[in-house]
Amino acid sequence: MGKKKQEMAQVYSNSNNEFIFGENGGRGKHLSSFLKNLSLTGSSASKSPSSSTKPDDYQEANSNIYGSLAWGAPKGTGGMPRGVSNSGSIISSSLKRTPTQRSVSLGTPSAHRSPTREEYTKTPGSSSRRRSQSNSRYADLDDDWDAGLDEVSVVPKQPENRNFPMLDSLYPDLTLPSASSSTSNLESPKKESMDFEDYQAKLEINKLNQLNSKYSKFRKVLTTDSSINLQDLRKLAWNGIPPELRALTWQILLGYLPTNKSRQRSTLKRKRQEYMEGIEAVANIDFEDDAPSNTSSTSIGTNREKQLYHQINIDVKRTHPTIKLYSFPEVQLSLRKILYLWAVRHPASGYVQGINDLCTPFFQIFLGHYLWQLQRKASIQKQGNEAEEDLFIQGLMDDTDTAEQALLQDPRLGDYTIDTFNPKLISSRVLSLIEADTYWCLSRLLENITDNYIHEQPGILRQVGDLKNLISRIDIELLNHFDHEGIEFIQFAFRWMNCLLMREVSINLITRMWDTYLSETPLGFNNFHVYVCAAFLVKFSSELKHMDFQEILLFLQNPPTQSWTEKDVELMLSEAFIWQSLYKNASAHLRN
Amino acid sequence: MSFPNPATSVKLVLLGEAAVGKSSLVLRFVSNDFQENKEPTIGAAFLTQKCTIGERTIKYEIWDTAGQERFALLAPMYYRNAQAALVVYDITKPASFIKARHWVKELHEQASKDITIALVGNKFDLVEDDEEDSLRKVSVEEGQNLAEEEGLLFFETSAKTSYNVNEVFIGIGSKIPDSSANQPEAIRENNQGRIDLTSNNASGGSSGSGDCAC
Repeated sequence: MGKKKQEMAQVYSNSNNEFIFGENGGRGKHLSSFLKNLSLTGSSASKSPSSSTKPDDYQEANSNIYGSLAWGAPKGTGGMPRGVSNSGSIISSSLKRTPTQRSVSLGTPSAHRSPTREEYTKTPGSSSRRRSQSNSRYADLDDDWDAGLDEVSVVPKQPENRNFPMLDSLYPDLTLPSASSSTSNLESPKKESMDFEDYQAKLEINKLNQLNSKYSKFRKVLTTDSSINLQDLRKLAWNGIPPELRALTWQILLGYLPTNKSRQRSTLKRKRQEYMEGIEAVANIDFEDDAPSNTSSTSIGTNREKQLYHQINIDVKRTHPTIKLYSFPEVQLSLRKILYLWAVRHPASGYVQGINDLCTPFFQIFLGHYLWQLQRKASIQKQGNEAEEDLFIQGLMDDTDTAEQALLQDPRLGDYTIDTFNPKLISSRVLSLIEADTYWCLSRLLENITDNYIHEQPGILRQVGDLKNLISRIDIELLNHFDHEGIEFIQFAFRWMNCLLMREVSINLITRMWDTYLSETPLGFNNFHVYVCAAFLVKFSSELKHMDFQEILLFLQNPPTQSWTEKDVELMLSEAFIWQSLYKNASAHLRN
Repeated sequence: MSFPNPATSVKLVLLGEAAVGKSSLVLRFVSNDFQENKEPTIGAAFLTQKCTIGERTIKYEIWDTAGQERFALLAPMYYRNAQAALVVYDITKPASFIKARHWVKELHEQASKDITIALVGNKFDLVEDDEEDSLRKVSVEEGQNLAEEEGLLFFETSAKTSYNVNEVFIGIGSKIPDSSANQPEAIRENNQGRIDLTSNNASGGSSGSGDCAC
């Protein structure tokens, strides 16, 4: 299945690239991407000096360890940097900028990482030593993995290394004659009679390291070349994007940010400008006016415009009513602008309820990204770390922004997350940039599902039909039971399509799902989503088969996903992927 | 009725403009709860609630439809076999009253001719303490007149304060003809307890019983 996906990616990436670059006026993307693919393979061999010396078991291990890209520990840095990033063991020479430090106070995204330093220092020396050694061995293998273009679906398992100088990683065999801890975190305790706490710590560290390893892989793809290899990025993103890099990666995958990095800044500037002009052009709407009644509105627009604004206004107030961020008037103002401008520019669909939900993942991921930038910058100022500005979405930071300066001095900055942050603290300048980015990304998303929101919503009806047909293939018993009970798919699946499961699954998991949707080609919001819905439904199959009409509907309207974690979602995505591979080309099931 | 608790099922559909409080009325009736900013309904939501009126126990199977115009095409599949309908408007929004008229007309043309319809002016709490009546945009008389013309039950309610909400459902239940309520459960389950979506494709008005004299 990996092969297949890759092939599909190739097929589609052509048209996609054209699309992206056509819009940005660029040329020659195919050539450069082609060349880059060549150089990726070529350089990977030469990049890893020690890979040629590895024993056979490394290769075996390597096949298990998808998640261990070169760490890019600082070349020539004296002491190891603070925080997690010092797990780095080998330098990928192709990295232009070395990430010395990326773990300090990243806000939410980094919450899972913050304890790392303590963990490491507490870990008994012997085990940390073993880990470091094992990690060093893996790190070397990365380039190999890369060259092999292995499929991404293997769960990354990453052994550990902390507080160890790079020397170890360069000469793993000197210090590790019989290392056995490397194969996997689960096996090692058996082999090494590690005590329980040690084992726990190791598991924890492994988990953190996986995240770091993922991060470094993204970092490599995002920063190594002057033009980002979209296909590599897709492959990585399919399995989830590290929270800190999600905003940047999404914008690239959506084609909003050009892959050619030299063009990113100008593109952003132009697009943001275009958005601001668009907002100014709808001068007849007073976006500040959020009075509940359209009749008392002072706006001078036509009836139709008033009605549209009224609808958006009332819906924005009740968008994610349980999430605090969306209760702030500043945020509601932004959403009103985004939705209104999109609606007037897309008169065939206009504003349809549900689109308000769809713009929120972008908004909060982009806002979170700005927070992350601030946190990074603050940590540089304090500790002299490198900012990794090459991973910043450009144009958000501005030294003359007083709100920004105040935030940088804010001692609580490091603790702010999207859930706790008060958007009043950022300037209207930044808010409007985030708004513009959200607008364009929402537009990109909706381009893929325009049929869902036009008159009679044919896209949704088709998807609901596709879902039913798919279930007839996958779980005929469930379908028969539904038939027997008189359940129609449209009764529950309409909302699944209209809101892309955003009403069924928490927004944090939705963002994870979108990582995969955005990596699918064409974007997964259309066809792939149907397979995801099938996986979602079948997940509850055994329960549903014992329910009657009412129970089924009540259950599906409020499915028990509250306790879901990313694992549940990832399982669902994997199932969807398998079914897509099985049934995609056998399109007979889609007609009926 | 001779049986101790032969709950008869009544299929009820809610129609009305967006954000007039359809879902809130149902939430109040079903859970005796209220949420200030309830997410817009997409497609339709299904809920049930039992209601005892005298000796009868009625089990409402409620389809709470989405109000936005774009979803209006889904409405027929929900009201087609309904025995009762609530047409809801917001007494502070004249446009929602116009929309209510349209729904009443459509129900008379397309729905079962036996359907019991209640016209419900919601958000009474907004005008309750409003001395000058400045917020109220649809008068009680307007509502009453429409209800009389079209043979509807009429209520003004507040889902927020729960004012008059249960009365709507009791009123509907009392008006539902016993003949339809007395049908054997099994038959009802098969015929009217469910929505027949297949007939929706055959375009509106095709149902044999749908033609109405008025």
